[in-house]
Amino acid sequence: MISQGAVASEQIRDEELVRRVQQGETEAFATLVQRHQRAVYWVIQSILHNHADSEEILQESFLKALEHIGDFRGESRFATWLIRIAINEARMRQRKYRAGLYESIEEQHEDKEFRPRELTDWRPNPEELWAKEELAVLLRRAIRSLPAIYREVFLLRDVEHLSTEETAMALDITVPAAKTRLLRARLMMREFLAPYFKMNWGQRMIARVNQRGRPV
Amino acid sequence: MIRCEEILRELSDYIDEELTPELRSKMEAHMYACRHCKVLVDTTRKTLTLVADHSFLELPQGVSERLLERLARRRG
Repeated sequence: MISQGAVASEQIRDEELVRRVQQGETEAFATLVQRHQRAVYWVIQSILHNHADSEEILQESFLKALEHIGDFRGESRFATWLIRIAINEARMRQRKYRAGLYESIEEQHEDKEFRPRELTDWRPNPEELWAKEELAVLLRRAIRSLPAIYREVFLLRDVEHLSTEETAMALDITVPAAKTRLLRARLMMREFLAPYFKMNWGQRMIARVNQRGRPV
Repeated sequence: MIRCEEILRELSDYIDEELTPELRSKMEAHMYACRHCKVLVDTTRKTLTLVADHSFLELPQGVSERLLERLARRRG
């Protein structure tokens, strides 16, 4: 039975915990849950945009992972395997609701060329001007503003720090496709945040004087 | 001298330090002379720093407890 008391040590690697669960020590699964639940929840949330559904799919994903843990052969990291299950579950729920209508619209973004517009430098340490929760709200809004195909890649690669290969595997796309989407996602995030963080005119002048000895 | 378009194309690999030393040097030489590209690279890197610690995506309250309860119920 799985209790709330997870295996104590933070030092045990995921793969070792998986091996223990496979051998019947289901207590070890609670530690895997605690390690990965946050990332898995937000990956699902980035697809469904709805807390109640995301929580339900989070539970379904971990139940499915536990049920199929015997199939995990260590060909990828456990986190990648788990996230792939969660993405599949979330997409199934999404399809049930909207029959792919919006998905096809979002896919069209991929071929459009993206030109960065906002090229004013940012203040040093702009995050210090914001309260932690204000900054968190802004970053969540920025991520939500991305079309789905970019949001997923950005979240996995730059927030959850999967490698590009793991990101591609989790999303079932090629590595070049993951790289193309990642670049676009990063540029779009930067563009969204720029108006909040850029230097004003006076700060720009001071920065240029300091840099080159005269305003230009 | 490489062009601004190439900087844009290689920007991700540059930030992720996945470029050859030769291309890296070429990009740095370009950025020394081109303020727009330098701003583009610096602010993109800063964007990634802001999201890197994922503290802005915390698990909502109660989710963890309900998840563990559901798992416990299922396994009996």
